[in-house]
Amino acid sequence: MMAWGSGAVRDEEKLSSTQARQVVRRSVRMLRPYRRQVVVALVVLLVYTLAMLAGPLMVRLGIDRGLRVHDGAVLNAAVIGYLVAAIVAVVLGRTQIRLITRVGESFLRDLRVRVFDHLQAMGMTFFDSQPAGRLVSRMTSDVDALQTLVQQGLVMFIQNALLFVATIIVLVVLSPVLAAVCLASMPVVVVASVRFRRDSNVAYLTVRDRVGQTLSTLQESLSGIRVVQAFAREESQNEVFVSHNRAQLDANLRAVRISARYFPVIELAGIGTMAIIVGVGGVLVHDNFITVGTVAAFALYLTNLFEPIQQLSQLFNTVQQAGAALKKLFDLIDIPSDLIERPGAVDLPPNGELVVDDVGFSYDGRSRVLGDVSLTVREGERLALVGPTGAGKSTLAKLMARMYDPAEGCITYGGVDLRDATFASLRHRIVVVPQEGFLFDGTILENVAIGRRGADEQEVRRALRLIGVEERFLALPEGLSTPVRERGSRLSAGERQLVSLARAALANPAVLVLDEATSSLDPGTEAAVERAMATLMQGRTVVVIAHRLSTAERADRVAVVDHGELVEEGTHDQLLVERGRYAALFASWAGEHHGHVPSDSVVSS
Amino acid sequence: MSARRERPPRAGWQLLATAVKEQRSWVALGVTAGLFWTAAKVAVPTLAQLAIDQGIISRDDRALLEWSLAILAVGIVSAVCTGLRRFYAFAISYRAETDLRDRLFAHLQRLHFAFHDHAQTGQLMARAATDLLQVQSFLTLIPITIGNALTVVAVIVILFVSNAGLAALALVALPLINIVAKRFASNIHPVSLELQQQLAGVASVVEETVVGVRVVKGFGAEPIQEGKLRAWVDRVFDRAVLLGRMRASFMPLLDFLPAMGLVAVLWYGGHQVLSGHLSVGELVAFMTYILMLIAPLRMLGMIIAMAQRAVASATRIDEVLATHPAIVDRTDGQTLPAGHGELRFERVSFAYLPPEGGELSDAGMPVLDGLDLVVRPGEAVALVGATGSGKTTVARLIPRFYEVLGGRITIDGVSVQDLRLRELRRAVGIVFEDTFLFSDSIRNNIAFADPDAPQDAVEWAARRAGLHDFVAVLPDGYDTVVGEQGFALSGGQRQRVALARAILADPRILILDDATSSVDPTKEHEIREALAAVMKGRTTIVIAHRPATVALADRVVLLDHGRIVAEGTHTELLATSERYRALLAQQEEGEVLAR
Repeated sequence: MMAWGSGAVRDEEKLSSTQARQVVRRSVRMLRPYRRQVVVALVVLLVYTLAMLAGPLMVRLGIDRGLRVHDGAVLNAAVIGYLVAAIVAVVLGRTQIRLITRVGESFLRDLRVRVFDHLQAMGMTFFDSQPAGRLVSRMTSDVDALQTLVQQGLVMFIQNALLFVATIIVLVVLSPVLAAVCLASMPVVVVASVRFRRDSNVAYLTVRDRVGQTLSTLQESLSGIRVVQAFAREESQNEVFVSHNRAQLDANLRAVRISARYFPVIELAGIGTMAIIVGVGGVLVHDNFITVGTVAAFALYLTNLFEPIQQLSQLFNTVQQAGAALKKLFDLIDIPSDLIERPGAVDLPPNGELVVDDVGFSYDGRSRVLGDVSLTVREGERLALVGPTGAGKSTLAKLMARMYDPAEGCITYGGVDLRDATFASLRHRIVVVPQEGFLFDGTILENVAIGRRGADEQEVRRALRLIGVEERFLALPEGLSTPVRERGSRLSAGERQLVSLARAALANPAVLVLDEATSSLDPGTEAAVERAMATLMQGRTVVVIAHRLSTAERADRVAVVDHGELVEEGTHDQLLVERGRYAALFASWAGEHHGHVPSDSVVSS
Repeated sequence: MSARRERPPRAGWQLLATAVKEQRSWVALGVTAGLFWTAAKVAVPTLAQLAIDQGIISRDDRALLEWSLAILAVGIVSAVCTGLRRFYAFAISYRAETDLRDRLFAHLQRLHFAFHDHAQTGQLMARAATDLLQVQSFLTLIPITIGNALTVVAVIVILFVSNAGLAALALVALPLINIVAKRFASNIHPVSLELQQQLAGVASVVEETVVGVRVVKGFGAEPIQEGKLRAWVDRVFDRAVLLGRMRASFMPLLDFLPAMGLVAVLWYGGHQVLSGHLSVGELVAFMTYILMLIAPLRMLGMIIAMAQRAVASATRIDEVLATHPAIVDRTDGQTLPAGHGELRFERVSFAYLPPEGGELSDAGMPVLDGLDLVVRPGEAVALVGATGSGKTTVARLIPRFYEVLGGRITIDGVSVQDLRLRELRRAVGIVFEDTFLFSDSIRNNIAFADPDAPQDAVEWAARRAGLHDFVAVLPDGYDTVVGEQGFALSGGQRQRVALARAILADPRILILDDATSSVDPTKEHEIREALAAVMKGRTTIVIAHRPATVALADRVVLLDHGRIVAEGTHTELLATSERYRALLAQQEEGEVLAR
């Protein structure tokens, strides 16, 4: 049974013959560690096929040399021969499926790890340019397509192809004339199979699209069910759904019609060939060209001819899909990483100043996000970055932690260019805490432990204690072993933020780059987050992207970024007196929230 | 979903039976085609035997030609019938699947809010996708299986009639195919489920690493993530190799068992030919018949395992279909009398009930407790209060999204429970906190309540919501597609579309449930003007945090734990209520300076 369009391949995904050759060559190269198993598997496969072919030959032997001449001994020999062949086939059949699956799965294991390692080695620019969904689907649907092939199709594909060819050879050897007549229907079958494959591919693509439409309509209705019911629009939603559902049915029925036309051709060719074998074979027997045993053998070989064609025509799409998937994966591995550790990189010094020197940056190489920014953050200083959305303050913060490399200028820490630093020391000295507390699958303990490789439970608890939230998490039903599930949907936004801060505490960096949350938290956790941040900042150099008035106010120094440039720098009080951009931002906030208070009075107060 | 009451598998069988019954004429056609196919198929080896014995061995060319042509003729019948039975089998199952999906969708549309609060979208999607697919593939097999079963019976009868001893010997091994196939199918299923889970594990590590790449890179956690991935990948390898081993022990047996039958026939039958009790043609026919049994026997084994899965799926689907909508029209539902939207809460109490079978601890605490509130026609009342004070609940009880537990809510003198649901919902417009837009044009989103609304009305509503100027400059104007895959609107713009949607419906009572919360505070004043325009002369309930929005209301009601603790105008409350001041101050503290 074919599942919904599972075997369908889009035209643009099909490989050209050069591409196919390249994919095969690379796959073979990746199989090199397993070459011994591959060779053994091929030998086993060959012997297995021969054993499968031996049966009808034994029947022929038994009939011609045994029954026709009344020789019981030859008959017995033929029976024993058949028995041996069957036993060999069952033993080798088992061995080869095991071997091929093992090699295939080893290949997939290597491929998964390799693609993942490569992904992790890519720089941020890469992740910005690729939708997350696409990257994830490389490692899921693409590798899974290969897995399906390895599990369900690969053995059959190879076996069937080999069996088909070997059967034809045997038939030709037995009787070239009868073989020729037998294969007369083959062109029709092949043409029908090719057409079936092509038409059903198109049909299944349509099915896939329609299924997608039906399901997305359903998904949307479920997400918007409250709106639908609030406006009492259930009936019209039903109509829309029914029409999509009907379209899916039509597409399915079209696909069925295609196969309902194809299978009769194969069936007729099979039985028709049987008639030819008996009819033409009979005439040949009369003329003493062949024996009755040969006719019987031909009849028994018939299944070897038509079943493989049918199977191959169905498997072909799976193989094509796997080829397309492999190509996409190889293409991904081929993209070089733009963020690598230089050979001869040195460790960053334990402390020092963070200096941004004449830095310019662009995400796409065209529009400049930052230009000519120079800034020094002294050791132990707390600097607030302030500015409107899109001004470039987050970008500046990311450059400071070498999430990207500047296009112009350089950033140094303790006198060492970040580009010359080892990743290990860089990630240890400078840590970024992102705006939203991002949680991984696993327990709270595991989530905090991300902060430093090899940290044990005691260290995690110490980090939680440091920011004053140990009790809070220990009080959970399973304590620190509480699983966070689905990106932490069980925890509140504030609690997620706390986990994220604990990670930073565990990492214990010299420089902390904080991106403050823009959305407001519930008042209870809000206070805890504030306290945790305050403790975490103590004794460290801190760069904070400030969204709150109070944060900017509390910083040692404020740097205002606008349109990719550093426009103002100084303490909160100084900047207010200067009545520049900062004062304006401050006034707009105050004006919004007190409505009737004229902005001037705030600035001068 | 799992918390909902378990349905017996009988319910699943019943659902399958009903689905098939609706297609009975197609089933009849499919079975008939299957019968003819069986007859034709079964005739071939006998005809071949006659051709060998009467044509080849007796050297009769005329008989040979006749029997060969007979085989060909039978082949045509068989070919036509195999196409037909295939078509009917799939037509039946796809139709049944489509009908069931229609039913499921319509039912989900009618189910109450409380059901949707507890149901996970993913789970419901699985009902409509994987479970229905499971049912569909099983239904496809029914007519095909009937044909196959007939073939098996017919072949066995023919073999025993022609030579009972040989038949017994040849067939002794064959039932094993059935047994082995059944065992294989049921053994392999749990392992492939495990493999699916391990694959999901791989997917989740990849996803979290890609989505959380900033964190991974920020802490240099790549080795940790790689360790996680390797653990899953190794588990996948383990399961996949185990599956391979299971296939390896099964697949070759499928060829081996019939081969044993053939060997037995060749040996015993061969000696019978030698002793003159059997013809060569009969011997070959016997062998061909045995080959014919392989495919049907394989399938009969598989179908039992598939049936179990399909019934489990059908039971899960039935579980949803058997959930009764809790909020429906009363048999004597009334029409809404003319009025200007006087809204009354009379001693209303309410608690969110746990889902059936769920734990009482997560719910059941009273949210509203004897609430009395009168909103005069045309009055705008702001509901304020901390999280969990019950303000959103008040809003959601008015359109009867939930049923009150005690007391009653009336609109222009009629209890909402006595009103026809459709009329009630048309009379009450609500703008939700999380603005949901459909993947459709802006026009259709605004005209959601009345798809036939003229363009003028749509533009009028958009103007009042302060949306028109923005839409007018879009390249596609009102035809711009929004929603998940469409044009990305800002939070404020989305709110305005939702507002326009409510305005177009022209409700007697308007509810704004935290409708400005996702708007950038520096932009809020723009939408505030729109709100003021909409509220004018209309009974309105506003739920808000920001003081400036609250100030739009004629009256402010401060809620705490489901009770009213203070009431008055914004200015009055600022002057008299310490709690009110504290609440507003808390809101401001959390506000953002700039984004």
